[in-house]
Amino acid sequence: MTLNQVYNGSSIQQVMELLKEYKEDAKIIAGGTDIVVAMREGKLAPKVLIDISKIEDLSEIKVERDSIEIGAGVTYTQLVENGAFGKNLKGLIKACSMVGSPQIRNKGTIGGNIANAAPAADSIPPLIALGARLKIGSTRGYREVLLEDYFQKLKDHGLRNDELLISIGFMKAKDKEILSFSKLGLRKALAISRATISMLIGIDNGIIHNIVVASGSIGKFPMREIEVEKSLLGRSIDEDILDLAVDSLQESMDKRLEGRSTLPYKRRAIVSLLEEALRESNIYRSEVKL
Amino acid sequence: MMEIQLIINDINYKVDIDVNMRLIDLLRDKLGLTGTKEGCGEGECGACTIIMDGESVNSCLVMAFQANGSNIITIEGLENNGELDPIQRAYMEEGSVQCGFCIPGLIISTKALLDKHPNPTREEIREGMSGNLCRCTGYNKAIDAAQKAIEYLKEGQNDFKNSW
Repeated sequence: MTLNQVYNGSSIQQVMELLKEYKEDAKIIAGGTDIVVAMREGKLAPKVLIDISKIEDLSEIKVERDSIEIGAGVTYTQLVENGAFGKNLKGLIKACSMVGSPQIRNKGTIGGNIANAAPAADSIPPLIALGARLKIGSTRGYREVLLEDYFQKLKDHGLRNDELLISIGFMKAKDKEILSFSKLGLRKALAISRATISMLIGIDNGIIHNIVVASGSIGKFPMREIEVEKSLLGRSIDEDILDLAVDSLQESMDKRLEGRSTLPYKRRAIVSLLEEALRESNIYRSEVKL
Repeated sequence: MMEIQLIINDINYKVDIDVNMRLIDLLRDKLGLTGTKEGCGEGECGACTIIMDGESVNSCLVMAFQANGSNIITIEGLENNGELDPIQRAYMEEGSVQCGFCIPGLIISTKALLDKHPNPTREEIREGMSGNLCRCTGYNKAIDAAQKAIEYLKEGQNDFKNSW
């Protein structure tokens, strides 16, 4: 191993200055659940490690009247145990509660899975569905990027070697909107997702007037499923909307995953995932009495 | 090399570490606390589970320098004046231990769960243990032990109240 210098980060400013100094030689470590394994396997060999897990400013969940800002160092356990997320955000909590195992959730962070662009991270589709924005900082200043664009154009929007992911912010789901999440893993605990779907659906008088659908592990990176959104927008919830959603998602997948050995399996699997996501939207909706 | 300070099982340590060390290497190789086991080394098996600042974590996924200023509990810290912890006693009595390799991790996960939720359902116990693999005894006896430990811990509290 080439690692020869480590820092216990104490503030965002100090970490940004260290990144400015060491640039590509340095790596940030938070929960360590991915990077420690990668270093031992020789896939990553930073000369400098900067720990951000004890920086309080990165470990806060700020809940405002209309918006929520999650520090990049917030762990999955912290998020799941935070009572401030309303019932209509249940899909985000469900996704975070299904990550890894208790030990992984106690250490793994929301920011970590974004910063290392983990393709199967469960927390990301619900955040994309919520229209989350990333706040990124360096000694050169701060910038914001839509989470959806971040993965779509990682080359343009990805973290530069002197930049630190600071927080993930989104508007709270509105009164008549419900966020759902469904996941296919090979077993319950410690299963890397084979496919995930998260939906933010707004319904008024039985009509879907607003819908955002995001998927994980159905493409090269987590993404919006625009065709599914189009197929359901303006429909009545009494129609056979599951069939519409399945047809449009399968059509997108046929183009996207053409020739992949996993396509026939995933084509079939998304039927149940979409069904679960739609069913949950209904259950949650009755719980919040819309 | 760098010096870090931390508390392990209520004892203050000032210790020189190599920057490449993981927390499990510090515990086992440097401090001789070999009750914590290393299984897979990638956070799947839970044999290396310890409690760090109140939460169960895989000590194979934490770098030693990250524990600077932390409060750690390992399996060695459960015994109290020569008496086994009620969770350890329950594991023995329920026959939850065969080869024993996974047991320190399982007991620490049980403790982390019961410290937070003193009265979990059987399903919640299963979830609390889901990050620990056992390849010989299986899980039912460990869950039985956790349920027995819940009773012991409640009785202990009553004894404590009665002694006043």
